[in-house]
Order: sequence, then C-alpha cells, then structure tokens
Amino acid sequence: MNERKWKQLFAAARNEAAPAPSADFEAGVLRAIRRERRTETPAMLSIFDHLNLLFPRLAWAAAAIIALSVAADWGLTAAGVPGLGDGVSQISAQWLLTSNGF
Amino acid sequence: MNDDAELLERIRNGAPDDFAEVVRRHQSRVFAILHRYEHDAHKVEDLAQETFVKAWRALEQYDGRAPFEHWLSRIAVRVALDHLRREKKRRNEIGLPELGEEALEWLRSDDEKSELDGRAAAEILDLALRELSPADRVVITMQEIEGRSVKEICAATGASGVAVRVRALRARAKLKRALKKLVKL
Repeated sequence: MNERKWKQLFAAARNEAAPAPSADFEAGVLRAIRRERRTETPAMLSIFDHLNLLFPRLAWAAAAIIALSVAADWGLTAAGVPGLGDGVSQISAQWLLTSNGF
Repeated sequence: MNDDAELLERIRNGAPDDFAEVVRRHQSRVFAILHRYEHDAHKVEDLAQETFVKAWRALEQYDGRAPFEHWLSRIAVRVALDHLRREKKRRNEIGLPELGEEALEWLRSDDEKSELDGRAAAEILDLALRELSPADRVVITMQEIEGRSVKEICAATGASGVAVRVRALRARAKLKRALKKLVKL
C-alpha cells in the first residue's frame, strides 16, 4: 500500500462519526454507581484483617526493635556489662537449676 | 476546567448524583475514544459506562494536576486496551469476518481517484489491526487516526517516549503487512 492510500485510509477512518450516547446513558452510569455503592458493605474487620492492614508498618517496627536489641547487646558486651545471654544463664543457674529444685 | 474542579469537589463532599453532570460533559469524548477500538454501538456504550464507573471509583486519586478530561481519557484508553485483549482471545476462537465489496474494491484499486467512506475504512482497519497486539493497536490508532503526539500517547498509556516511538514504528510495519495480505484475499 502506497503512502497516498495509507493517508486516504486513515483520513476516511477519522471521518467516521462515533455513536451518540443513548438518552438514558447518564442514568445508566448512576445506576451502576449506586449498585456498586450498595455492594460496598462496611464489613467488620477481624483482628487478622487489622494485623494485615498494619503489616508493613508492623514488620518495620519489629525489624527496628530487633536491630536496636542486637546493637544494645553488642554495645553492652563491648562495655563489659553482662549481656542478655549472661543474664539468662545466671538466672538459670541461680533459680532454675538449683539442687532443691527451688 | 475550574468548573470541573468545583463539580468534583461537590461529588467528593457527598453529592454523588452530581456525577451525572460529569458524564454529560465528557461523554462525547469518551465515546469518540472508545469508538476507535469498537464499532458496535452497544458495546461502545457498555465500555463508556465502564470508563465512568472506573473514574468514579478512582475519583479520590485524581489530584487535579492534569485537566480532568485528560485523566478521564487515560481511563478510557485503558478500558479500550482491556477490551481489545479480551476480544483478541474471543476472535481467535471465532475467526475473521469478511470485508465488504466497497472495501475490497478500494483495496484492489490503483485508481488515484477511488473514494473510500468512513465505514469501509473502519472495516478495513478493523480487520487489518487484528494482526497487531492490543498495545500496538492503541498506539497506531492514537497516532494515525486521532493525530495525537508521542507525548500525548505517553500520557495516555503510561509508556515512555522511546517505547511509544519503537512501538509505533513496529505497528506501522505490521499494519502495512496486514493490509498487503488483505489485498491478496
């Protein structure tokens, strides 16, 4: 197809008129919107839904707490203060593993 | 455009029925866009309704930076693209329709004075454009029929300028091949 025919084809297609909306088109759109609003029920959210909604923020908060704890443990170990692990072994030795059981 | 802003503000503040005015103002543009991709008037109306319902749903996301008309056109183009994708699958199953006499005659004619009316042109293009992917079809339609610039196509489709240019070149070549094939039918 040569350039002239190509242009003629598109020019003719450009001139084709679009169909006019029917008289009750706006009403139809509003009906569809109302239907949609009715189906949007304010569902009760369960605890899992709430957790789900909070998920990205909760995950970041948990990661931040873990990072802070690890950093604090390192810092305290470096400063010579007994770390969390030492504390746990101490408690185990003193209270849980005594010969009389308590 | 300020009128649109006030109207949209009213709708957001709890007057959903005012959306009818939005529909009245913009329906001819939406119909004109969708008609480029679907020639059945009933289907065009269904797609236009889908466009307005999607716009209503996404109204909170409209930030007013671009004119409302452009934002709505973008939704219409996306609706058309989804429609083409669905239709492509369906049409692969039912096969191709035949071209009318006038369209065939024009395709085969070498006469420079041969006339072509809009309906026959749409028939030819509709058939030839089926050889293209829906995204290629949107780009070539916007560029060649609607006379949109690359920048406008980028805004409507969300593609980059380079992607649109490459796609347009490829689509033109594919369409030329498809038209050549039609001549031989």
